[in-house]
Order: sequence, then structure tokens, then C-alpha cells
Amino acid sequence: MFLSKIWFFLIALAAAIALTIALVMPRPAQRQHIEDEHNRLALACGVVNVALTDDARNRVELASSFARAQEVVSALESASNTEKLDEARMKQVRDVGEKLMQGISGRKPDFAMLIDKRGRVVARIKLDENDFGDYASGRPLVDDALNGYLRDDLWAQNGTMYFVSAAPAIKRDPPVAYVGAVVLGHKVTNDLAQQLVSTLSVDLGFYLGADDVAGSKTLALDKTKMQSAVAALKGDRMTDCTAGRPIDLHTKNDEYTTLVARLPGEAQMRQAYYAVMIKKPTVIGFASTLKVVSKSDLSFGNFPWYIVGGLFVLSLAFGIGLMWVEADRPLRRLAADAVRLAKGDKERLSEDEHGGKFGSIARSVNIHIDKLGRDAKSARTNLDSLLGPAPEGGLGTIDLLAGALPASRPGGPGPSTPPPPSDFKFNDPGKAIPTPPPMAAPRPTPPPMAAQSRPNQAARPGTPPPMPPATPPRGTATPPPAALPVNAPPPKDAFGLDDDILGSGVGDPEATAMVDPYFKSVYDQFVSVKQSCGEATSGLTYQKFSEKLIKNRDDLMSKTGCKEVRFTVYVKDGKAALKATPVKDE
Amino acid sequence: MLRAILAWLVLLPVAGAAHAAPPTSLTGKLELPAPPGRPALAVKGFLDRAENQLAPVKPLAPTNQMIVVVEGADKPVSPPQVVIDLLGETFSRRVIAAPAGAEVVIKNPSKTARLLTAAEDPKLIPQGPINPSGSKSFRIEEPGKVYTIGDKDAPHLKVKIVTINTPYYAYPDETGHFAIENIPPGSYKLKIWYGDGWIERPDDVVDVGAKGKTEFNPKVAAGAFTPGKK
Repeated sequence: MFLSKIWFFLIALAAAIALTIALVMPRPAQRQHIEDEHNRLALACGVVNVALTDDARNRVELASSFARAQEVVSALESASNTEKLDEARMKQVRDVGEKLMQGISGRKPDFAMLIDKRGRVVARIKLDENDFGDYASGRPLVDDALNGYLRDDLWAQNGTMYFVSAAPAIKRDPPVAYVGAVVLGHKVTNDLAQQLVSTLSVDLGFYLGADDVAGSKTLALDKTKMQSAVAALKGDRMTDCTAGRPIDLHTKNDEYTTLVARLPGEAQMRQAYYAVMIKKPTVIGFASTLKVVSKSDLSFGNFPWYIVGGLFVLSLAFGIGLMWVEADRPLRRLAADAVRLAKGDKERLSEDEHGGKFGSIARSVNIHIDKLGRDAKSARTNLDSLLGPAPEGGLGTIDLLAGALPASRPGGPGPSTPPPPSDFKFNDPGKAIPTPPPMAAPRPTPPPMAAQSRPNQAARPGTPPPMPPATPPRGTATPPPAALPVNAPPPKDAFGLDDDILGSGVGDPEATAMVDPYFKSVYDQFVSVKQSCGEATSGLTYQKFSEKLIKNRDDLMSKTGCKEVRFTVYVKDGKAALKATPVKDE
Repeated sequence: MLRAILAWLVLLPVAGAAHAAPPTSLTGKLELPAPPGRPALAVKGFLDRAENQLAPVKPLAPTNQMIVVVEGADKPVSPPQVVIDLLGETFSRRVIAAPAGAEVVIKNPSKTARLLTAAEDPKLIPQGPINPSGSKSFRIEEPGKVYTIGDKDAPHLKVKIVTINTPYYAYPDETGHFAIENIPPGSYKLKIWYGDGWIERPDDVVDVGAKGKTEFNPKVAAGAFTPGKK
């Protein structure tokens, strides 16, 4: 069994390793999945930045076109030469601007400012339209435009963010001169956010510090974490998407992985940033992995079924082989040995033929057989002490082994040869004298057949023929001898060697009155045989005889578990002897 | 008593003659080096600024950040009020000189309320916003002290107030011309402020004559506009 145990250990170890791998393998996959999601976020973040940059280029171009319009240049030139701006001029310039705004195709600006060369706002369109005359110069975007530069910026005002662009208004007729600037503003809206991420499968939000500005989806996210992430960003803004680390945020129902990036321009001073977010990937555990296994994953093309099946068959065959060699075959051998023992083909199990635990079993069985022998010897000693030593003509010996066998049993009759010498084989069956049929304690039994059916006994030469069984009629009780004195019965425990049946004790009147026909017949046979052998029978009384037989019968029944005991009278060494035979089955 | 009256009668014409002396002035033109290049954008948008294709961009005009100051024995006794206009997104000047002890008044003719504070002394300006058409005034005392006034919500909106120990100063125009009127005759040290500090110059002594205009053309060395070389 040692190799089988080793094999089972190896199988269990392999199973544990396989289970560990199965449980651990999803983790690297999960990490890779998260890393992929982060890369996707960084990519989307970069794409948004590129899209916003492209949008800025288009907006600057639009501002440049707007500022080149001759009506605008003329209006601003005229306003620049005026010391004080009035409402009439403002309206005239505003009309010019509104017409140009209407002519813009595509995404129209949400406001426009026309500024003279002094930096004064001559007119506003679509936003604060009635305000004019204030100085817009001072803002870097306006100052640069007034100095001849094209550029863009981000402005934040009143909780709104604007992508602004500016261009100088230049009088191209000689002498070429700067006459002012045009500023266009595009509001950052939800539509813009949705448009920016329409093909990216992410969500986008624009924020000013803790305030939402716009987003592709309305999400109530924790701004504190995002602000902290923005504050941690250093260096060039263009590296935010790649240098920043995604953060986990959650709404009421969903968890998001978010990557933040700073927005440029003036609005950056107000902590303007945008955030690209995706729903946090589901944790892939062992069970989740199994859930997503598809048929194609288990196809022969994608899974090494042949290798797995082959290994399984090999493992199984090897394990069965080890089991057969170490368990099945020795067990069969032991079973066969036990059957031979049961059949009587052998007296003991062969301890040397069985190794390991099976050898221990054989030894244990043999030890028990020896114990039974010792018990039988003890029983015989008791019977001898009851009936007297056999050589002196007392009761004979007891063949327990032969008597334990059923009269009719599977496998045929009992062994024809005498059993080998053993502790519990202490008699020679000798010449059996048929006795009346055995009987259980409470009832009479049919006539015994075993003694007559044993050929070795019947065929033994030199022995007197068996006595015919004395079978008195059932149910007839022999009246107690009137000559016996009627005394109080002695206590059972009072019987000792002095109370031998050959002694002259006084019998129990009640017991004497209830004579058992079977015991009486045995008694008669015993007395008859003793007399025929020339032995004295004067001290032998039926009462003592039957009490001893009853006691002996009860002892045998309790020790062997038999249902009844058969007594046989026979001659041994020229003297009458008595054999008690336990009968298990009728 | 009689002697006192006679003495007063003798000195009265002298005092009258002094009051009637013609005002003198110090004028001149700053000899400026080539204008400095434009500094890099402090805040830029998604794109770098680009020059237009129709006309050359304007050069940087350093004079709008310059102050010409002459310091003599006279200290400002009762300096005049210094007024700064808040014109929407900018102040009337980027740098302002204020004699020590002068009252500075910031007026807001624009339509936007501003909350101004001095970076160097948050208590300098009275608390509260300067509403449209409103004003805030405060007094500066310590000569040599520089205050940077601004609105934290509009980082571009800044003005520097330079506290000087003289009532005589001027702001040069775009060409560099300046004029300090009503300056008493005497010897003065001429100093030029640019941007964030004084320009270090060797020719810093000017003698103002007793009559008429005194012409003096201070020369600003090359590299004076370079940060750290003043």
C-alpha cells in the first residue's frame, strides 16, 4: 500500500497545484486587464487632448477669418480713432459682427468681442451685448492679439468655461496697421464633450476645481480625489495623460476608473481640468472566468484535450495497477486462504504468504483460533472435573470443533481427516455410542444424526457398535424415586468437587420428580455402558448426572453460542466416556 | 518789537522774490537699447501663439513699465494723491510711483467688481470689493517698499506700486520721452525703474538749473531689460 499512498499523495499534490493555478491564473489576467483599461484611458485622454488641440486650431483660424473681414477692420479702425466710444458706434459694430457670426458654418461661437487698438471693447455679440467701452487689454490673449499674434486660450467666468481664440484686425491698405482684435469664444458644453468621446467608449467631464462644467454624462463623482490628482500633476501639461495615474471613483451605482489632465490657459489658474473615465472593470475571479468560458475555448483546436485525456487515463491506469498489486491481489489471496480455512482444508491461515496488513490479519485470526482452543480446553477441564477423568471411567472428552460444524453446511461435510494437534483438540473421538437426539434447554430435539453420519467413527475397527439411541416417549416424565429422601435443595453455589455425581448426595426432590427423557436416556446409556465395561455404578445417581449435564450444556451454549448440546456415550480405553457436542444448526 | 517789525519788512521782498521764481523742469529722452524679446507665454492655450501673416508683430514696449525718478534733498512733505484707474482687465499702468506718505486711490470705472489685495501686505487695501464706479484708498509710508496689487480671480490684473522718497517722477511715453515739472534747482540722483526693480546705471546725477528746462537724456544700457541685469 506504500506505493499506492505515494501515488495518491502525488495525485493530491497535482490536484492542489492545478487548483492553485486555476485560482491564481485569473489574477495576472485581471492585472493585465486593468493595465489595458488604464492604457485605454491614457489613450482616450490623449485623443481628447489632440481633438481639443485640433479644435483650437480651427477656432484660431475662424477668429483670423473673422478679423480679416473688411467690415470689421473698418469698424475697428474708426473706433480706434475715437476718443470716446458711444452706444451708436457700439450698435453699428455689433451689427457687423452679428452678420459675420450668422455666416459662420458649422459650430458657431457662443460670443464675440470686437476690440479696438487701444484695448477697448467696441462691441460684444451674443454675450453681454450691451456692455462696451471697458478695456479687455490686459488679458494675455487680447494683448497678444493686439500685438499681432494668433492664439487661443481658456477662460472661466461665472462657472462657465470658454475655449477662446483671438486674432488681430489689420488694416491691409498702406500703411498697414493694427486696428484692433477679435475674440471668439466657444462654450464648453455637454454636446462638445459627447462629441469628443463619441468614438472612444469613454466618458468625459470638464471641471473647474470642485465645480462641474460639462460632461458627456451626468456623473456625481468625488471631486476631492480628482482635485488631489490634478494637484499632483507636475511639469508639462502634455504629459498628464501618460504620467498621471488613474484613480478610482464611484457614483451611487457604479465605480469608475478616472484619469485627469490639466487644461491650459487662464482657466488653469482656476484649476481647470478634464477627466476621462470608464467603468471599473469587473474583478475576474475563478468563478467569473468559468462564466465567460465559451464553447470555442473548449474545442479541440483551443484546448489540449488529447494531452489531458491521455494523462488522465495514464494516471488512472497506474493508480488501478498499484491498487491491484498492493491491495486487490493480496486481499484475494487472503480471502482464498480464509475460504480454505473455512472448508477445513487447513487449520490456520498462512501468515508467511500474506504481507503487510494482510499478514497482520492472518496472524490475528490465528491468534483467535488459538484462543478458542484454549477456551475449549478449559471447557474440557471443567467437564472432566464434572464427570471425572477419562482414564478412570469418567465422562469422556469433548470435540468442540467437530461439534461446532453444522450438520449440513455449504461446502460439504466436515473434514474426513483428523484435525492436526492443537490446544483445543484434546481427544480422540474413539468409539462413539449413539445417544438420544440432543435437545435445547427448553425443548427436546430430534435424534442426533451427526454421530451416525461420521464415517471415521463408524468405520473405526475394534470399537463396539454404537448403542441404539434411547429415546423415551416425549412428554412422559419419569416419576421421582420414592426412596430418595426429601430434603431442602442445597444452593447451586454449594456444588463442588464433593458433589460429584458419583457421590451419595441427596437429590432434589423437585428435580427428581421432573425427569428429562433425554437426560434419562443418556443416563441410562451411560450406566449401561459403564456396567458393560465392568465399572461400578453404585454412586451414580440420575439427579446428580442430569444436573451436571445441564450445567455443562449451559456453559457450552453460553461459550459457543450454540442452540443445543448433544451428549454421546462411548467407550474409551475400555471405560465409559461421555462427549458433549454443541449443535449450531439443526 | 520794533526791530522785529523792521526785520520782517526787510525779508518780505526776498520771500516774495523766491515765490515768483519761474518753474523749472527736467525733460529728456531715454536712450533705450533694442527692445527686449517677448517673454515666453506664462499661460498658453492648446496652441502656441503664432504671428499673423499680414504684418510684423509689434515689438515689446518696455516704457509702459518704466518710471523715471529724481531724488534730491527734498523729501515729500505733503505728497499729492496718486490715482490708479482699474480699466476692466487692466490698470491704467503696469507700474505706478507713489511718494512716501501719499494717498493712493484706486478707481474702478469698469463694469466689473474686483477684490484687490496687496501681495506684500494683505491689510494695505481696505477689505471688500471695489464695485463698478467705486474706489478704494490707502496710504503708503515706507520709502523703497514695492506693493503688487492684484485680483486672485484675474491673474493677469496686476499693478506694481513703487514707494519713492521724492515727489519728482515721470512716466516715459512709448518713445522714451519724459518730463518732470516743477522741480527745484539742485543736484539730483536720477533712477529708472523697469518692471520689477531699479535699473543700475552709472550716470545717475542730474543738476537741475535755476531757470527753464533742464535736458537730460539718460542712457539705458543694453541688457537692462534682461531679467536679473538691472
